[in-house]
Amino acid sequence: MNLKRYVTLTRAGIMESLQFRLSAFIMVLGNLLYLIVTFFLWKSIYAAAGTETVSGMTFNDTLIYLVLATALFGFMDMYIVWEIGRSIQSGQIVLELLRPMQYRKYLFWAYSGSFVTQFFFTFLPTFLIVAAVTHGAIRFGVNLLFFVISVVLAVSINYSIDFLVGTICLYTESIWGINIMKQVIVLLLSGATIPLAFFPEPLHSVALCLPFQSIYNAPLTLLLDGEPQMQNVLQILGTQAVWVVVMGLASMAFWKVSIRKITVNGG
Amino acid sequence: MSSVIEIKNVTKEFKVLNRREGLKGSIQDLFSRDYKIVRAVDNISMQVQQGEIVGYLGPNGAGKSTTIKMMTGVLEPTSGEILVSGNVPYENRTRNAQQIGVVFGQRSQLWWALPLIESYRLLKEIYCIPDADYTHMLELYRSLVDLEPLLHKPVRQMSLGQRTLSDILAAFLHNPKIVFLDEPTIGLDVSMKAKIRTLIQALNQEKHTTVILTTHDMGDVDALCRRVVIIDKGKMLYDNDMEHLKGFFGSYRTLKLRTDGDHAAQAAAMQKMLPELKVSADTEWISVLVDESRAHVIDVLAQLQKQYTIRDMQLQEISTEEIIKKIYEEGVQ
Repeated sequence: MNLKRYVTLTRAGIMESLQFRLSAFIMVLGNLLYLIVTFFLWKSIYAAAGTETVSGMTFNDTLIYLVLATALFGFMDMYIVWEIGRSIQSGQIVLELLRPMQYRKYLFWAYSGSFVTQFFFTFLPTFLIVAAVTHGAIRFGVNLLFFVISVVLAVSINYSIDFLVGTICLYTESIWGINIMKQVIVLLLSGATIPLAFFPEPLHSVALCLPFQSIYNAPLTLLLDGEPQMQNVLQILGTQAVWVVVMGLASMAFWKVSIRKITVNGG
Repeated sequence: MSSVIEIKNVTKEFKVLNRREGLKGSIQDLFSRDYKIVRAVDNISMQVQQGEIVGYLGPNGAGKSTTIKMMTGVLEPTSGEILVSGNVPYENRTRNAQQIGVVFGQRSQLWWALPLIESYRLLKEIYCIPDADYTHMLELYRSLVDLEPLLHKPVRQMSLGQRTLSDILAAFLHNPKIVFLDEPTIGLDVSMKAKIRTLIQALNQEKHTTVILTTHDMGDVDALCRRVVIIDKGKMLYDNDMEHLKGFFGSYRTLKLRTDGDHAAQAAAMQKMLPELKVSADTEWISVLVDESRAHVIDVLAQLQKQYTIRDMQLQEISTEEIIKKIYEEGVQ
């Protein structure tokens, strides 16, 4: 393993994403607008419910959760489907396949730079503001460590899902519909737009059995849990780890089968 | 000398959906299983030695790119064998990639938003180029082209010529055994074309790199290739030296004359005088196509001079372009 190779790719990714300053600022602004909408939406939901807590969560709990979910989304969301699709449509994929590196790895590391910039541009500021404004709703303890581990696992699961869906573009040669479909499913079932606690019963259990909740719900649960129970933590991280392996293998296998089809019948 | 590329009886077929016309047809196509087989490459064999520059020619859609894609490992042949420096490319694409460099004239492998030097640094790591080799290569590049101003320029701000130049240098950076250049001079101006040709020649000589060049510009072929391979409709038409190619149609030269009086009438008279040659005329010139295996240009000229006042003359070699055009249009007899 040549570690330097990956670091260089990450470094180039950081530089590349910093080239587009304006887009970074607009992203922050867009996030802000989304948060304002979320605030008023949930405020009216709680007002309509007329109770302090809905589905076991107070308004503050919900809002903190959603703000952090948005920040996490801004940092973890990858345009991999988009990237693979465009590369296939333009034929650029030929050049990427001709690098002496597995495409799956290459793409991840080429993309990793934007994680780093997004982390500093969107996640960290939001996190610090939430921590300051809510006066101790977020504990600064061992839960942060669990959170970091969980995010790393979540990034891997998210990437595998994206790569899997992106591979479908090899067959369809279209991107838009597939990307939207993926986006909607992931955002809903991962708990990024609505906390999973609000889901009605059959759906709630189903969502917990799917890999998506491991992307946003798992790390946020670990972060917001002030008094982590070791058993609970291990269960969440364990579930994530299982999904890392399963989705990783699935995306690799699907790619292998698909790329064979391409080499047999042209791109 | 061992061959770095060995291609034996390679055929590539594609399955293509028979598309129907109109809206109704498009809807039917959604469920259609009506495929036809298109043979893009048909039983091609060749061997390329280390250090050769081979011109790989053919009209549009002849199967050139398909062959190149098979040699790079992006496509798997339907039948036949390919060995590229000992590897079967499609089985071992990643390992094969380490041995080859590729430039597709219409695309770039460089990092678009970053200064060129960053792309080279990335390639250095991706291809695991040792520091010493990398420095040596950049030194060599500096001696060949004016590299400094390019290195710090973002690729997206480059002109097409600068970008192609940078892409070619990128393809040679990890000192591959073989470099595939697919229409590298497409869309470039005359001086840039010349620059790129000199560069390819120099890199080939310096590093003994094998170059497979596809192009539609016969200037590239004349400047670079000793050997040409011509394919059309997937079939190999010709594989030999450039010299043979010229001799292939007899060694023709065109003698162009300008005389006093009516060209058309004189041309007719000359044709009678020289029945074995072909004489034609336009308002400017009378052209005599001389087959050098039958008659010498000097003799023809001496003979004609006795009867006509020749005021001006030109001697034209038949150009590669004309030969290739003839092969594309008529094939090889």
